[in-house]
Amino acid sequence: HPDVEFCGYCITHPSESKINFRIQTRGALPAVEPFRKGLNDLMSVCQHVLNTFERSMKEYRAQRDEEMQ
Amino acid sequence: MAGRRRTDELRDRVVLGEFGVRNVHTTDFPGNYPGYDDAWDQRRFEEAFRVDIVREEEGALEFDMVGIDAAIANAFRRILLAEVPTMAVEKVFVYNNTSIVQDEILAHRLGLIPIRADPRLFEYRNQGDEEGTEIDTLQFQLKIKCSRNPQAAKESSDPNELYFNHKVYSKHMTWVPLGNQTDLFPDADFRPVHDDILIALLRPGQEIDVLMHCVKGIGKDHAKFSPVATASYRLLPDITLLQPVEDEAAEMLQKCFSPGVIEIQNIKGKKVARVANARLDMFSREVFRHESLKNLVRLARVRNHYIFSVESTGILPPDVLVSEAIKILMGKCQRFLNELDSVPME
Repeated sequence: HPDVEFCGYCITHPSESKINFRIQTRGALPAVEPFRKGLNDLMSVCQHVLNTFERSMKEYRAQRDEEMQ
Repeated sequence: MAGRRRTDELRDRVVLGEFGVRNVHTTDFPGNYPGYDDAWDQRRFEEAFRVDIVREEEGALEFDMVGIDAAIANAFRRILLAEVPTMAVEKVFVYNNTSIVQDEILAHRLGLIPIRADPRLFEYRNQGDEEGTEIDTLQFQLKIKCSRNPQAAKESSDPNELYFNHKVYSKHMTWVPLGNQTDLFPDADFRPVHDDILIALLRPGQEIDVLMHCVKGIGKDHAKFSPVATASYRLLPDITLLQPVEDEAAEMLQKCFSPGVIEIQNIKGKKVARVANARLDMFSREVFRHESLKNLVRLARVRNHYIFSVESTGILPPDVLVSEAIKILMGKCQRFLNELDSVPME
C-alpha cells in the first residue's frame, strides 16, 4: 500500500497469545484504513486461492480419469 | 539493461551462495524500486497466480502455487499443521486393565490413533462439560481378554499358536453410538483409519476393558489432533549455467546434482551440459566443493513458486485439508474484521 510508512508486529511474550501490531501511515490517512483494506484483500486472496485450487483439482482429476480410460 | 536484469534477479530469485543465502527477504514494496509499480492490485495478483496439481496419490498430494507471497504460503502450511480440526480420543475411562501397559501409557497410545470421522460433522465440546453430548463426542469401546489355546502343541513357543487375542490391534476398537447418533449418522462407519495398529500385548489372564471418548480438537492443543502426517513446501530451484560447460567438466557437473537435473548432449562431437529439469534437484550444493565448477553455475530459487507436499493421516483426503485450511484463514480474517467494526474507533 503506497501510503503506509511503517508496518510491523511483535509478540510480547511467547507464552501469552498477544501480538502488538503497529501501522503508521503517511499524511492524513487514518491508520485503520490500510489495516481494514489489508484484511479485506487477504480475504479476497484466500477466496481466489480456494477457487483456483478447487478448479485445478477438478481439472487434474478429469484429466486423470480421461487418461485411465 | 544489465541493471534492470540485476534488479529483476534481486526481486524474484533467492540466490544460494557458497557460504550463505542472499536476497532472502521480499523487497518489492511500493516505492522501493523506481520504475516498478508494486502497490497491491487484486487483478494483477489474479492474473499471475496459478495452482498446478503435480501428483495425487492415496493420501498424499503434491501441488504448485505460483505467484503468492511467502507469508501467505507459510500461513497455509502452519494452519494445515496446527489448526485444521480432527477427532481423536481424549478421555479414556479404564474399567479394567490388568495388562503390562500402564493406564496412562495406554491412554496416550489410544489418543494418537487417527480416527476416521469427518470433524466437520461435529462441534467442539464446551469447556467444563464432563459428560459429552451426541453432537460433540464419539464413544469407542475396547474390550479384550487373552486366553490360552488348549489345542496348541506341547513344545511350541510361538505366541500366535499358544494364545488367543494376545495382540491388541486398533481393529478391536468398536464404536458405541451415543444417544441419537445412529439416526444422525445412519450409514457412518466410525473406526480407526488403520486396522493394524498394535496397541498392546497380552498374556493369558490379562484383559483390557476401556471406554474412550473422542472429541474435536486442533493440533495447536495437542499434536494428536493434527490431520497431516506432514505438510511442507519448498521453493522451485533455478539452476543457470553461466558459461558453457564441456567434456569432463560436464560429466563432473552432472554428478554434482541429483540424477536427472543435468543432461549431457552431444553437439558436434563435444559433450555439452544442459539443465534438463531443475525441479528435481535437492540442492546439496556439491558444486561448491569443486574449485573448477564453482563459478560456472548459479544456484537460486524462484521466490514465489512454492512446491507444496501434503500427506494426510487418512482422516480426510489431502485436497479437502488444503481447502479447509484456506477457509480457516478466511474465517480468521472475517472475525478480525467484525471485531474492528464492532469496537468504536475515535
